[in-house]
Amino acid sequence: MLRRLEAEALAIRRNIWRALRAGGSGHMGGSLSAADLLAALYFRFLRIRPDEPDWSDRDRFVLSKGHANAALGAVLVRAGFCDESLLDRFYGYESPFGMHPDITLAGVEMSTGGLGHGLSVGLGMALGARLQGRNFRTVVMIGDGELQEGSNWEAAMAAAHHGTSALTAIVDYNKVQQSGHVDAMLGIEPLADKWAAFGWEVREIDGHDMEQIVTALDALPCSHSRPTVIIAHTVKGKGTSFAEDSYLWHSTAVPDDVYRRAMAELGGEP
Amino acid sequence: MSVGHDDLSARFQDQSRLAFGAAVTDLARQDPRVVALSADTVDLIGLRELMQNAPDRVLETGIAEQNTMGIASGLATVGMRPHVCGYAPFITARSMEQLRNDVAYARQPVVIGAACSGIALGVSGGTHHAVEDLALMRAMPNMTVLVPADPMEAYLLTIAAADRDGPVYVRLGGRVPEPPVTPPGTRPEIGRARVLEEGSDVTVIACGCLVTEALAAARDCAASGLSVRVINMHSVKPLDDDAVLTAAAETGRIVTAEEHRLPGGLGSAVAELLARQHPVPMRFVALPDSFAVVGPTDQVRARYGLTAAAIAGACRELVA
Repeated sequence: MLRRLEAEALAIRRNIWRALRAGGSGHMGGSLSAADLLAALYFRFLRIRPDEPDWSDRDRFVLSKGHANAALGAVLVRAGFCDESLLDRFYGYESPFGMHPDITLAGVEMSTGGLGHGLSVGLGMALGARLQGRNFRTVVMIGDGELQEGSNWEAAMAAAHHGTSALTAIVDYNKVQQSGHVDAMLGIEPLADKWAAFGWEVREIDGHDMEQIVTALDALPCSHSRPTVIIAHTVKGKGTSFAEDSYLWHSTAVPDDVYRRAMAELGGEP
Repeated sequence: MSVGHDDLSARFQDQSRLAFGAAVTDLARQDPRVVALSADTVDLIGLRELMQNAPDRVLETGIAEQNTMGIASGLATVGMRPHVCGYAPFITARSMEQLRNDVAYARQPVVIGAACSGIALGVSGGTHHAVEDLALMRAMPNMTVLVPADPMEAYLLTIAAADRDGPVYVRLGGRVPEPPVTPPGTRPEIGRARVLEEGSDVTVIACGCLVTEALAAARDCAASGLSVRVINMHSVKPLDDDAVLTAAAETGRIVTAEEHRLPGGLGSAVAELLARQHPVPMRFVALPDSFAVVGPTDQVRARYGLTAAAIAGACRELVA
């Protein structure tokens, strides 16, 4: 099972680069750091029906760090929500697959892009499930730099207050944001302590270790009265060595030679 | 829903903000999807009764408007009909990005009840005056913008908004008196203005608390032989284009009146339409492009000419 999920993560990374090449540029760093987490979510955890994307009892996934949309498109294609040709429409004219998620695309639960929005929206989904007596779960993926937006902490406070145990936040903690390392820009540590102080169950994992990811997801909900945050320690640009742990690869151009280097490292077709 | 005006009026206590709460309470009784979100505004909007009778239908989200608006969007995506209740200055400006992205861009049917709009909170000062909210809301694609002229209209428009496919902004008053102008037994329609007074020389197109002033201005003008039509444009977006164009064609002069700054409000909406389709001389009764002074609402209104006298003066100026 773990090998299969790792294979999906690799396929997602290849799809990310394929989309980035089609668009000519894009946010590779934060897309690649999320690939393993997305593989585990879409191919193990989330109860979804790609052939029935509007199934009312589906689990909800919100990509709050919307600039990693290449990764979301990559996994939606792998999961069968969208045809593979979607990847070639990244940044295209009138495309449903632009830089940021578009709710009109099958499998996308919310249009995101402005940072600090997803956790509130996910909380609304979780509260809606409770009001309707339904059992679906909501997962929101948040970036680390994104946690500098104060609205996240409004949502964190409210989720704990309302005891929404069916809500899970995953922090893709790749340590790098657009202009530098997070701790040099506006530090967010002690991060686990912050979430705990806001009333959340906190788990910390290596966000590239599939066994740790699966173990953390399988344990959800960690509490019947508190929401859970999984702080996933990741590497920006993971999987393509030249792009790892550098703000220069937060978002940049993808000429053919970069694409070829990436695919060579990922063992994909150039 | 059957409406008994007298019973309802007693519940509103002549306040449109309480009429909004009464409408949400009545909607919630009939529709399990309806939920109210309070940003520490339970009593401001009149949700106490609903909260006591059906606690799960009033979600207290605290003094955190950004989060409140995001939650509302999330609730809507799973099939709920959220009604956000807040102070007009904060529920618009503070949560503007959530309103734009999560609600308008994502086209979610969230109804926003914005209490204490305009300079209802006159003594509170510029931080609490909501006099650019119509401009912000009008500029938002997918948004319906309603400005009830009295509590009954606020109640009826809130009921009507519940069927809307998309977000709705309902502009509400504060604690200052809101005299009734809604003819008994009538029901306002979104996108359809009401002609409250026929007239042939000038038309005053007003919204909110300025409708009462417009009616008084029309009476004053009539006494001196000037025939003034009065239109209650409760639906600022979609604007009732036909009512505006007909008035322009038949009276040839238009005055707009609103408790809002001039840029982007009702006057702008009317002027944008007329400039394209039927230009006529216009005057605007609105707040100037500056922060208003602190003071009791009636005195601040008078200071900036949001009065029957100023509207009548604008009408006379147009025919002079």
